Amino acid sequence: MPDARTERVTDGTRRRIEGLLREFAPQVLGTLTRRYGQFDACEDATQEALLKAALYWPEHGIPHSPRGWLLTVASRVLIDEFRSDSSRRRREDAVYAATPQSELLGRPADSIADQDEAAPERDDSLKLLFLCCHPSLSVPSQIALTLRAVGGLTTAQIAAAFLVPEATMAQRISRGKATIESGGIRFEMPAGEARERLQAVQHVLYLIFNEGYTASSGENLTAPSLSDEAIRLTRLLRRLLPEDGETAGLLALMLLTDARRPARTLPDGTLVPLAEQDRTRWTSASIAEGVALISEALPRGAVGPFQLQAAIAAVHDEATTMEDTDWPQILGLYDLLQKVAPNPMTTLNRAVAVAMVHGPRAGLMVVESLESDGRMARNHRLLATRAHLRELAGDRDGAASDYRQAAQRTASVPERRYLIGRAAALDA
Amino acid sequence: MKYLLMIYGNQQKWSSLQAEDWPREIAKQDAYNKKYAATGELLGAYGLADAAASRLVTRKDGVPVLSDGPYLETKEYMASFYLVDVESEERAYELAAEMPWADQYPTEVWPILHESASDA
Repeated sequence: MPDARTERVTDGTRRRIEGLLREFAPQVLGTLTRRYGQFDACEDATQEALLKAALYWPEHGIPHSPRGWLLTVASRVLIDEFRSDSSRRRREDAVYAATPQSELLGRPADSIADQDEAAPERDDSLKLLFLCCHPSLSVPSQIALTLRAVGGLTTAQIAAAFLVPEATMAQRISRGKATIESGGIRFEMPAGEARERLQAVQHVLYLIFNEGYTASSGENLTAPSLSDEAIRLTRLLRRLLPEDGETAGLLALMLLTDARRPARTLPDGTLVPLAEQDRTRWTSASIAEGVALISEALPRGAVGPFQLQAAIAAVHDEATTMEDTDWPQILGLYDLLQKVAPNPMTTLNRAVAVAMVHGPRAGLMVVESLESDGRMARNHRLLATRAHLRELAGDRDGAASDYRQAAQRTASVPERRYLIGRAAALDA
Repeated sequence: MKYLLMIYGNQQKWSSLQAEDWPREIAKQDAYNKKYAATGELLGAYGLADAAASRLVTRKDGVPVLSDGPYLETKEYMASFYLVDVESEERAYELAAEMPWADQYPTEVWPILHESASDA
């Protein structure tokens, strides 16, 4: 039961504390892991320090050096943990050897640690991202571990965001950590394979964003928005790698997509397709930031799929109506995208651009080329796209039938409602 | 992506198994459940009681009314179900095919369309 003093803490303070904790989580964990190794134990200790801070700071105020406070508390947790487990004697020795004497003697919890720790976060957050997205982990484990270790979210928050029991999420996290321990995966920058490893990190961030963007569940107070979290983490990645064009492209893509969120659904959850969205409700600040990012990244060369997708999103976001949209430019970008990263979904999106430039029949021919692809034949997006193009071409019966089939195959309730609505409108 | 895996059966199928073989079969299923709980993919595994213990329930004047049937016309009834959360459709099929009895009896795999947060 909270006492009167706790209740006086304002929501603003709580949010500020939560923000600080999430910001410092990867820095603290990174420093601990660099110093002591043993990612698994360091991760637990960091979470415990975050928890202690979440209880202590609202009442006693935010310490003068939040990072130093967290680091000191987490180190103590770690040392206590090692001390209590005699079978880990050797690890304990390692910790003592690596711990500055002054720290063992104790010091005010809010004093700044040694100069090294007070310095900016070095590359630790980046190493941490590479570790959490290591290819030997399953994708669900990569996602869970990234959100917890880098995002500073609790297991309960992550479980709530993905609508799975907390025990299941805990299992994914501990399994991920066990894989890192047993695989002898080192806490270091990957050499040689840096590009692929970075792509894995970007892919995980993109999946987190998409999960948040497409999730049908409404505002959930216990689960932070996954798309906001993905944007925050991608900002972090960009700060660490300001020169990387694909990271800039990924951030731009997220911002330009997220900008449409206010217009994308009606209050009752109904989906609004791009053509019918009230564009005045798009978030102009996100569009401006996304456009600036992609405009700066594109001319620098080495154009990858995220930059191209961001460029396409930027063309859409800058148009005031569907008709005003620069479709030839979008088609050109899809042509490039198909060369850089061929993928049936890209072809499908390109079919719409072809239809807008060369007419629905031309678009339908592109869709037809996909129908023999086993992966795509039963896909609801192929059916929904074909339905839309058939409708544009005046084939009402064919379109209605495709909309219905697409509705049967989608796994999203709002999408299903939307597709059934389209079919019904054509029958009328 | 979440999937419901369902195993159906009937009295004849269960009777075909000798009583002394049951512990071994149950152990196989337990091992399967433990394996996928540990990967963080199995959200829950539930075995159902005998069909004789099930009831049809309707509401009349605000109170439940129970009956012993009639049930839908099925030769087989559901024996157990498993809720999994996996990376892909292919992975769901993999898990279904690994059910101890999948070499003899099929497992139904249904994608889950929507769900409610338990705390919403």
